Amino acid sequence: MRRRGLLLGATAGTGALLIGWTALPQRSRVGLASLMKPGERDIALNGWIKILPDGSVVLAMPRSEMGQGVHTALPQLAAEELDVPLTAVRIEQAGWDAVYGNVAMLVSGLPFHPREEEREDGFGRAKAGRWVVSKVARELGINATGGSSSIADAWDVVRVAAATARASLVGAASLQWRLPVEELRTTEGVVSHPSGRSATYGELAKAASATPPGTVQLKERKDWRVIGRPAPRLDVPQKVDGSARFGIDVRLPGLRYAVLRMAPALGGAPGRIDATAAMAMPGVERLVQLPAYAGSTAGFAVVARSYWQALQAVQAVRVDWSRPAGAPMDSQEILRHLEAAVRSEEGYTFHREGDPEQVAGGGRTIEAWYSAPYLAHATLEPMNATARVRDGRVEVWAPTQVPQMCRNVAARVAGVPVDHVEVHVTLLGGGFGRRLEVDYVAQAVRVAMDMGGVPVQLIWPREEDATHDFYRPAQVARLRAVVGQGGEAAALHIKSAGDAISPRWMERGLSLSGPVDLPDKTASEGLFDQPYGFEHQRIEHVFMRSGVPVGFWRSVGHSHNAFFMECFIDELAADLRQDPVAFRRTLLRRSRRHRAVLDTVVERSGWGVRPLPPGRARGLALHESFGSVVAQVAEVSLEGGRPRVHQVVCAIDCGTVINPEIVAQQMEGSVVYALAAALHGRTDIRGSVVQQRNFPDQAVLTLAAAPHVETWIVPSERPPSGVGEPGVPPLAPAVANALFALTGVRQRSLPFAS
Amino acid sequence: MDLNINGARVQVDADPAMPLLWVLRDLLELTGTKFGCGVAACGACTVRVDGQAVRSCVTPAASVAGRNVQTIEGLGTPGKPHPLQAAWIAEQVPQCGYCQSGMLMAAAALLERKPKPTDADIDAAMTNICRCGTYQRVRAAIKRAAGAKA
Repeated sequence: MRRRGLLLGATAGTGALLIGWTALPQRSRVGLASLMKPGERDIALNGWIKILPDGSVVLAMPRSEMGQGVHTALPQLAAEELDVPLTAVRIEQAGWDAVYGNVAMLVSGLPFHPREEEREDGFGRAKAGRWVVSKVARELGINATGGSSSIADAWDVVRVAAATARASLVGAASLQWRLPVEELRTTEGVVSHPSGRSATYGELAKAASATPPGTVQLKERKDWRVIGRPAPRLDVPQKVDGSARFGIDVRLPGLRYAVLRMAPALGGAPGRIDATAAMAMPGVERLVQLPAYAGSTAGFAVVARSYWQALQAVQAVRVDWSRPAGAPMDSQEILRHLEAAVRSEEGYTFHREGDPEQVAGGGRTIEAWYSAPYLAHATLEPMNATARVRDGRVEVWAPTQVPQMCRNVAARVAGVPVDHVEVHVTLLGGGFGRRLEVDYVAQAVRVAMDMGGVPVQLIWPREEDATHDFYRPAQVARLRAVVGQGGEAAALHIKSAGDAISPRWMERGLSLSGPVDLPDKTASEGLFDQPYGFEHQRIEHVFMRSGVPVGFWRSVGHSHNAFFMECFIDELAADLRQDPVAFRRTLLRRSRRHRAVLDTVVERSGWGVRPLPPGRARGLALHESFGSVVAQVAEVSLEGGRPRVHQVVCAIDCGTVINPEIVAQQMEGSVVYALAAALHGRTDIRGSVVQQRNFPDQAVLTLAAAPHVETWIVPSERPPSGVGEPGVPPLAPAVANALFALTGVRQRSLPFAS
Repeated sequence: MDLNINGARVQVDADPAMPLLWVLRDLLELTGTKFGCGVAACGACTVRVDGQAVRSCVTPAASVAGRNVQTIEGLGTPGKPHPLQAAWIAEQVPQCGYCQSGMLMAAAALLERKPKPTDADIDAAMTNICRCGTYQRVRAAIKRAAGAKA
């Protein structure tokens, strides 16, 4: 492979060495070797890469594995640039330095319209915003896994770190052998020269750690042999033999188990507590009161020698719950408030183009109202965390998407400096955004503070998980289009209302005293930045504060906004008597990327060509989220009056693909997650109490109801974009549009089964 | 209480009413069997008792005394994985992986009863919940393992 090579020939003088150092990539996130945990026999070459004597590689891992495959995909990036087999890469949890922060996630939260970002003329608002936020993000170094951003963020930094390590290894061989770098090559963890000289990375590691990397150049696309290949996931073997360790599987000497009960009413608290009977039960050790932490509802926990004993006891505690202040929350009433808000004069304009007002006066208006309910995440592993507090130090084991926020909240709760807190990130039994919260970690630390140095594992019963989530916010939207003189869809006016997520998350996560007041992009994402070329547009949102704890739910605002948008587009097509595909194609005349994805799904699904069995219909939707464009065609019938989805064909453009097998997995998983939500998913709140308590009423999808999913990847050389979430948004509208084709009835609220 | 877990006799000191799940997890530290719902709805806690798939979160430990309990830890060995485990790897089934122990135990019970299950057999037997949506690969892996057995 062609890498412009480094090291100034065999005998590097000091001055030349300095040139090598200054050629390091911009104040980079590669980081110094001292950032990695020192091991007995391993040698760190920079902040991301260590080499073991047997030549295997340890990669610093700042991202959490919750099923999305990041513990395989990041090692693929390292294996590629280091020229080692993927199976030679192990991972080790990254430290706290800012180089491990997720810059891409923060930058993608900016509420800029794509067209504003594409503008090349000078230093516009979007460019300036991106520059500032990426600078700030780099300094903050917030280590988080979310927003389908892990690969986009790691794309440069992990490859550069691995290439830098490789350059040092080659440089070390070059110096030892007095042979020019250009003549050396690397294969499968070995540096070799045509003369026959060769050495393994393990043999060269020590010398490499003292050798500057010189000029580092990334491999060219044509030379890739790991990136873009369907490598088996590294975490699969341990997930089929029971040895994979999730948060709930942490076992420590003397470990005790805690089970909690929170006030049934969101925001309530325990009043008088009578634990006499509970404390007399076998194995029970103590009761710990839990104030409201990081957005949680207050309650208490009982500690015992096993979960079951603690559960029996916590249920035996007699408690008078105090009601939260203010009017009780009711989800139906909140939906009515949201509708009133849309009708009001309020609203923050996320995007404005052309002159929607003027056109609105002229042509025929098509209008539709859509809504979505609150919705729980329902990860299969219930919320849990393990903590030990002793000698002024706190140790936490947690299945979390935000280790740093865990560390901060643990320090606050225990009253110790942050650097007295260690957080061990375990595997996550599902995340879906729920584990961007740190309520359960704060609670575990609080319980552990009363344990005299004994470790304790706090486990939420499923019922607490279902009734004390941070729910996807309910949202209502009014969509209007104006048809121009020539019968074309000329203007689009959307106004939605719902709670802001990000500001509330920042307030509780950072424990701020005052409210954060930012236009939260998540409220309008998928609406304000929709890709269709309406000449006149106005997209606004009314931010509400219902009091219901809301959070990031897989694909966040896109999850309902795509439903609103793509169903409405279908409505327009039907109203204008156009084929839904042809209608979209016309409106996408300026977006080749979206058209290519649309064309792929049309071709692969047999849209308009392949006949369907009687009683079945197809529906289509297309949506961009997290930098990726996904189109889906759902094949639907009615069985006993209920929708049955047989097959979903997906097409995705997610930029450069790291592992096509993982992309397919994520499309399959997204379809199932989104279909459960579309058919059954709702969280009802009455008198501030969540009504759905466990899986029989928190309806999810089972194997028998799961459609067959087919994934087609549209080739792209753009940098990689998201995969974990973009498969979710198009599913609900694709199914709804199929149901319309089948029944002539529009679905305008989620879930369909209600 | 005397239990037979994965072919070995073990003695546990527990309330006879304690569900098998918590005996396995908290007393014997066999954490491969998972807690998901506590009401036999999700199947994450599925183990086999005398070959049958059983939801251990609602199975009193005393009720399995003298019977053969098999957990994911006893399904295969690293040197000799169960055909389902090999099929699970070949089909790349797991995502987060949390439900997979229960899925595998339910599938193992199914194959013992029906070595060549139809789609309808699989639909009926595999009622475990997977929130990552690995169902289509679960189905493919069961079929692959059934083929390998023949």
